[in-house]
Amino acid sequence: MINSVAQRPSRPQGRPRYKGKAPYVFLSPYVVLTAVFFAVPFFNAIMLAFYETNGPRSRAFVGLANFVFLFRDSTFRRALLNTTVFALVSVFLQLPLSMALALLLNAGAARVKGFFRLVFFSPNLVGQVLVGILFSVLFTPRYGLVNRGFQLVLHWGLETRWLSDPRFIMPAIVLASLWLWVGFNMIYFLAALQTVDKTLQEAARIDGANPWQIFWHVTLPSMRHVVVFVVIMSVIGSYQLFELPLTLLSESYGFGANDAGLTLITYLNYRAFRAGDLGLGSAVGWVVAVIIFFISLIQIRLGRVAEED
Amino acid sequence: MRFANNFPYGRAPFWLLVIAVVSVIVRVATAHRPEARPDLVMVTHTEAQFDAYRKAIPRFEREHGVKVQLQFANWASLQARLQNAILADTEVPDLSEVLEGALGFFTRGPIEDFGLLDLTDRLHADGLDQRLVQSRLSVWSARGRVYALPHDVHPVMLAYRRDLVEALGIDVSKLDTWDKFVEVGRQVSRDLNGDGIVDRYMLDMRYDGNWTLQILMFQQGGQLFDQQGDVAFATEETAQLIRWYIEQVRGPHRIGYECGWGQPVVKAMTDGLVLFQWAPDWRSWVLANEAPDLAGKMALMPMPAWTPGGRRTSTWGGTGLMIMKQTRHPELAWQLAKYLYFDTADLGERFRATNILPALRDAWKLPEFDAPFPYYSNQRIGRMYADLAPETPPVYSSPVDEAARTGLDRAFNRSAAYYAQHGEAGLLDAIRANLAEAAEDVRRLAGREKILAKGKP
Repeated sequence: MINSVAQRPSRPQGRPRYKGKAPYVFLSPYVVLTAVFFAVPFFNAIMLAFYETNGPRSRAFVGLANFVFLFRDSTFRRALLNTTVFALVSVFLQLPLSMALALLLNAGAARVKGFFRLVFFSPNLVGQVLVGILFSVLFTPRYGLVNRGFQLVLHWGLETRWLSDPRFIMPAIVLASLWLWVGFNMIYFLAALQTVDKTLQEAARIDGANPWQIFWHVTLPSMRHVVVFVVIMSVIGSYQLFELPLTLLSESYGFGANDAGLTLITYLNYRAFRAGDLGLGSAVGWVVAVIIFFISLIQIRLGRVAEED
Repeated sequence: MRFANNFPYGRAPFWLLVIAVVSVIVRVATAHRPEARPDLVMVTHTEAQFDAYRKAIPRFEREHGVKVQLQFANWASLQARLQNAILADTEVPDLSEVLEGALGFFTRGPIEDFGLLDLTDRLHADGLDQRLVQSRLSVWSARGRVYALPHDVHPVMLAYRRDLVEALGIDVSKLDTWDKFVEVGRQVSRDLNGDGIVDRYMLDMRYDGNWTLQILMFQQGGQLFDQQGDVAFATEETAQLIRWYIEQVRGPHRIGYECGWGQPVVKAMTDGLVLFQWAPDWRSWVLANEAPDLAGKMALMPMPAWTPGGRRTSTWGGTGLMIMKQTRHPELAWQLAKYLYFDTADLGERFRATNILPALRDAWKLPEFDAPFPYYSNQRIGRMYADLAPETPPVYSSPVDEAARTGLDRAFNRSAAYYAQHGEAGLLDAIRANLAEAAEDVRRLAGREKILAKGKP
C-alpha cells in the first residue's frame, strides 16, 4: 500500500491549485444552465412517462400503463415498422447512392467536382419543410411533374396517388428524402475518399485487382471510420424523421392513408401535442431513445469487428 | 489594465467577468416595459373575419369604454399556440376562434380543469339557444355543456360546371338521390380520347375517404360519437356507406376522382376533368375566388339524398368562439362575443364578404341573403344555403375526436386494400371487422381519458 502511494504520479508542477469558492463561482453558470435546461427536463421526462397528464393542472399516475398501451397499440407498431423500413432504405439505398455519387465526383476534374458538389448538396440547404411542400406539388396526380415525367418515360403513373394511396406513400417519402439527403452524405464520403492513400490503390491495380476489388478491399476499408459514422448518423436521423412526412402528408397530420407514412416522431408529436397526452408522448420518446441507443451500439460493435478483421 | 493583470485568477476570467456584468447592465437598461394589456384580447384565424371584426370593434369599444386588441393567426398555428399555452399554463387570449374538431383538446380531463368558460347558462339566459341552429350547438358542446359560440352552419351543396352539365343534357333537378347521381355519373365518367385514361369524372371524391366520407356519413345520420361521447361510427350503415364509397372511387365504374386542394381543384374544374364539387358555404366563396374564369359557368345544387325525400345536405367544418377561463373580464368578453356573432347589423355585410351562413337564424331574413350571386349563374345562394341549414346534421365532439377521424379513415383504407385484393367477395364482412377494430382503438384511447378524470365529475 505504501509502495503504491509512493508510485502515484505527482500533480504537474507550475499549475496553481486554487483554494476557496472562486472556481465554483465561475463554473456555476454552466452548472445552473445545464441543470435548468438539461437535467431537470431530462428527469422530468422520465417521470412524465409514468403519468397521464392534462397540462400542468392535472395528472394521474399510471405506472407502466403508457408503455403497455404503446406496445398494444397497432398504430404505434405501424409507426415503428414504417420508421424501421425507412432506416433500412436509408442504409441500403440512400448511402450506396451517396457513395456512388462521391466516387463519380472523386474521379472527375476538380472544377467540375466543386460545381456538382454544390448542386448535389444544395437541396439540403432548403430544409425538410420546404422539400415536403415542394414534393407535395410535384406528386400531384395528373398535373404534378413527377407524374407527368413517369407518364412520358414509362407510360405509367399519370394518376398515381403518391400521397393518398397507401402503397405509394412510403416510396414517395423515400424519393423526397433521397433528393434531400443523398448529396449531404455524399460530402462526407467525398471528403473521406480524398484521404485514401493513392499508393495502396495503385499497388492493388498493379497486382491485377479490378476497380470493384480495389473499391471493396482497399478504398472502403480505408474510409471505414467515416462509413460507420455516416451509417450511425443516418439511422439516428431516420428514427427521428418528422418534418418531411408531416409536410408531405399535412392533411392527415403526417399519418397518411392507412398510417402508411406514420413515423415514430410523428406519432410522438400527435400523441403529445395534438392529443395533449404528454405522458404518452414522453413514453414514445424513451422508446425511441432506447431503440437508437441499441442500434448505435450494435453498429459501433460491428465497426470494431470489421476493423479487427 | 493593471487591475486585470492583478486579478487573482488571471486576465481571461477578469474580462469574462467584465463582459458578463456589462451585458446584464445593458440588458436591464434597454429592456422595454411591456405595454399594458388591453381589456380584451381576441384572436381569429381567417382574414375575412379579421377584416369584419376590425371594422366592428371600434363601435364596441366606444359603447363600453374599453380597449380590445384583435389579433390574426393562421388556424394551424393558432391552435398549436393555444394548445401549448394551455399545456404550459401560460397567458392566453380572452377570446379565440377555433376550427371544428379543436374543442376536444380543450375539454380533456376533469371539467374543473377545462380552460374554457361554460357558456350554457349565458346562452339560455339570453334566449340565444332558441335563436341558433340547434345542430350547431352540438359541435361546440362537451359533456352536455356549451363551450363555444357557433359562428356558422356550413351546410353542404354541390357546385357544378353548369355549362358542361347542360351540354351533356343532364337535368340536375332530377339528381335528387345518390342512386340517380351515380347512374348518370357512370354514363359521363369516360375516357374521351381513347388513351386508356378517364378524362371526365362526375364528382371530386377523396381517394382515401377522409372528409368526403365524413360528409356522406353525417348526411346519412352517422356520427363519430353519440351525444354521450361514446364511439358511434362502427355501424351497419357506415359499413354499407364504405362499400358504396369504395365502388365509386376504386371500382371499375368509378365516378369519383380526387382533385386535391387549391390550384389542382381549379385546374380540374376548369379542364372539365370533374363536373361536380363539394361546396359548403365557405367553399362556394373559395371556389369563386380561386377560379374566377369560371364565373357564370358554375351553379349550385343540394346534395342528392340517400333515400327519396331524405336530407339534401350535410356539414363540413365550422368555427367557434371560445372564452378562456383565464379572462379578467368574463362578462365583457361575453358581450363582445354576442356583439360580433349576433349583431344583425353586421351579419348581412359579412355574408356578402364570405358567403358564410351565420348560425343565428334571424339574420337570414336580411336582404343580402336573397341577393343573386353572378358567379353561380345568378342563383340566390344565400337563400339556398339558408333553406338547407335546418337540415344540417349535428356533429358531436370528444377529446379523442381526431383519433376517431383517423380511425374511420384507417378502416376505410384497409377495406379498400381488401377490395383491391379480393374484390366484392367478403368485402362487407371485412369492412365491419375494420370498423370494429378502429372503434376499439378509439375506445382504448377514450379509456385513458377516464383514468385522468377518475373520481371527478
